Amino acid sequence: MNTFQPIIDALLDLDKQRVITLVRDALNNQVSAKDILNQGLIAGMDVVGERMEKEDMFIPEVLQAAQIMGAAVEILKPLLGEDSASANGRVVIGTVKGDLHDIGKNLVSMMIKSAGLEVHDLGVDISPERFVEAIKSKDAKILCMSALLTTTMPMMKRTIDALTESGMRNTVKVMVGGAPVTQNFAREIGADAYAPDAGSAAKAAKAMVQP
Amino acid sequence: MDLKGLSGGQYKPLSDDGITTIHKAAITILEKTGMTFESGLDDTLTMLESAGAWVDRTQGRIRFPGKLIEEQVKKAPNRVILYSRDGKNNLDLTENRVYLGTGGAAIKVLDLETGKPRATTLHDIYQIGRLVDRLNHIHFYLRPCIPTDISESDYDINMFYACLNATTKHVMSGVNNEAGLHQIVDLASMIAGDKSLLQKRPFISIITSFAISPLKLCTQSTRIMQEANRLKIPVALSAAPMSGSTSPMTMAGTLAQLHAEQLAGICICQLTQAGAPILYGGIPGMANLKTMGYLGGAVECGMMNAAIHQLAHHIGVPNYNSSGLTDSKVPDAQAGWEKAMTTLLTAMGGSNYVHHAAGMLESMLAVAYEQYVIDDEIIGMCCKVLDGIKVDPDHLALDVIDSIGPGGNFMTSEHTMKYMRKEYFPGNGVSDSRSRDKWEKDGGLDARERARKLAKRILSEAPTSHISEEMDRSIRNRFKILLKTA
Ligand code: B12
Repeated sequence: MNTFQPIIDALLDLDKQRVITLVRDALNNQVSAKDILNQGLIAGMDVVGERMEKEDMFIPEVLQAAQIMGAAVEILKPLLGEDSASANGRVVIGTVKGDLHDIGKNLVSMMIKSAGLEVHDLGVDISPERFVEAIKSKDAKILCMSALLTTTMPMMKRTIDALTESGMRNTVKVMVGGAPVTQNFAREIGADAYAPDAGSAAKAAKAMVQP
Repeated sequence: MDLKGLSGGQYKPLSDDGITTIHKAAITILEKTGMTFESGLDDTLTMLESAGAWVDRTQGRIRFPGKLIEEQVKKAPNRVILYSRDGKNNLDLTENRVYLGTGGAAIKVLDLETGKPRATTLHDIYQIGRLVDRLNHIHFYLRPCIPTDISESDYDINMFYACLNATTKHVMSGVNNEAGLHQIVDLASMIAGDKSLLQKRPFISIITSFAISPLKLCTQSTRIMQEANRLKIPVALSAAPMSGSTSPMTMAGTLAQLHAEQLAGICICQLTQAGAPILYGGIPGMANLKTMGYLGGAVECGMMNAAIHQLAHHIGVPNYNSSGLTDSKVPDAQAGWEKAMTTLLTAMGGSNYVHHAAGMLESMLAVAYEQYVIDDEIIGMCCKVLDGIKVDPDHLALDVIDSIGPGGNFMTSEHTMKYMRKEYFPGNGVSDSRSRDKWEKDGGLDARERARKLAKRILSEAPTSHISEEMDRSIRNRFKILLKTA
């Protein structure tokens, strides 16, 4: 059996106490924090992501799993060194200017975080300038934009334009989504990726940062 | 058969106790938890503060004393009449009178020729309007979809123009901003003769999503709402939480939060303009907990929307709500049962202005031409239920029974002739009740196909412009009108 299976199982059972105990035990047994994170917690969240995609799990349960993972990561953090998550890639995410819909964006943000990436969620109604500023200050490698309105979809293009003007377009991958957004639209505005839901968004984000 | 404005109220999901408990809970929410706001509402905050609300600008909270709420809500009219231009479809919104019509801001339509989804256009708003003009059980025309083929700055005026050209029924829509509101009021004033005539007989009205659940004022929409109050144009105070994501998982909790949001909105409107005509606009919905998507077709949506009328009625304000949403992607059996369930419950609840009741598919994202024909039938049947069973001597027909006698039949009786067109719902032709033979000979079409045929037939007739040629010229001189008719 995979040494990390008990952690994965405890996470899937949404048993916070057990996850924490198992993580502490593993650390005491000299297992590296990095392995616990990648092969235990993140591997567990990958299963959660799959179940979410298959609609085998309620989203509130998915969110609880993410919270439990977060609590376990807090224990690992001091041992992981400066940039464990950020080494995987920093993500800036937000809903574009003029748009206040955030339920879908929040799910995407949470799932990408659970996939082990460092996520900076700027919130809703974010102007192209604010996106660009955040990408610069956080040194982000991925930009995720959400739009739920046909009237705000053009803002995605404008944000990409602003990114180009800032000279950072080549170093940042752009992923877009939201109910009215399509693969075609993403291609038209020059985005690098599109995902129809939070599970596939997390997978795509992970794929983008994999060396 | 004229079935509008009939009395609902037969279905009461909340007991009297339940109503007062939820009302009190909502006041507690407003006093204790309060509402939050975004930047840009300084004038509104000052107005609320001087009226006695507790405003905490650093924390971003407005707390409303119960007394303030009760005082202001009393000022809201308990009857709002939304006019049609020909006077035949006026909506007298008060008590338990029920009217149902279209709704939504869909972005996809199932093309009438191909049956496949495509982006909605300005022409769709016009064509669906023409259809609605001819479907008797759809009582008003709320802009059903977004004109994705024109630029956003041209939306407001063009949506209203397309609707008003297509039908004389009452027209309602949201607008993008205050400038858009002024434009469409100018347009409607031209058609009415002048602004005061429009205010006297408003044949257009506005929806604003002033609240972002839970308990947050949306700046842009709140400002549009207040401007509509000042212009004395009726406004529906839309707030649409989904239980499990933007309101509690439970129905009672969702209703309490939504009632609080409504009370806060009504309070703002009445402080802005005492006596402003408004509609309590609670639209309780549900989240699909496996995706967090919107569940429109859930039977609980019908139950909660019926409860909304009870809560609005409790404070003496006419209501706006939803029925007829479905999560099905096509006009199929699922769409049929979800629509019939929610519309029947909402109508039997006594809801005054029920939007979304016709045309909607795919959890609010799509509409279909043929669906309007099907929903016209469903709405008609639901209203027929409200009409009830009349029991008087002539309807009891004792004399007729006696004269026909045991063993006879009623086919040739005068009494049958007298009531055969009145007693039973005739339908618009989409329901098929012929023999299998005849049905097969006609192609064996299912309901969707039959509805498409009917929709096509109506749309193939020569269009009537409901704006005179002369008026149309003045309008096109003044505004950038993009609709090409005929
Ligand atoms: C809930 C809702 C609201 C709530 C928002 C609450 C909130 N906190 O977000 C409220 C009531 C406030 C609201 C307001 C309005 N809304 Co609204 N709303 C909806 C509704 C019903 C559901 C949206 C939702 O939350 N879905 C659930 C989530 C989980 O799904 P999702 O957002 O699609 O996200 C998933 C994917 O798309 C993807 N995804 C999302 N973002 C991203 C980002 C990336 C990078 C990736 C990869 C993937 C991804 O993953 C997510 C998870 O699986 C939709 C209809 C619908 N069925 O979509 C209308 C809808 C989007 N709204 C609409 C409208 C018109 C409005 C208003 C203008 C109403 C008005 N008349 O005033 C206002 C606009 C406010 C504003 N400026 O933004 C229209 C849009 C029409 C258009 N022009 O495009 C719709 C389609 C409804 C309709 N037909 O009438 N709305």
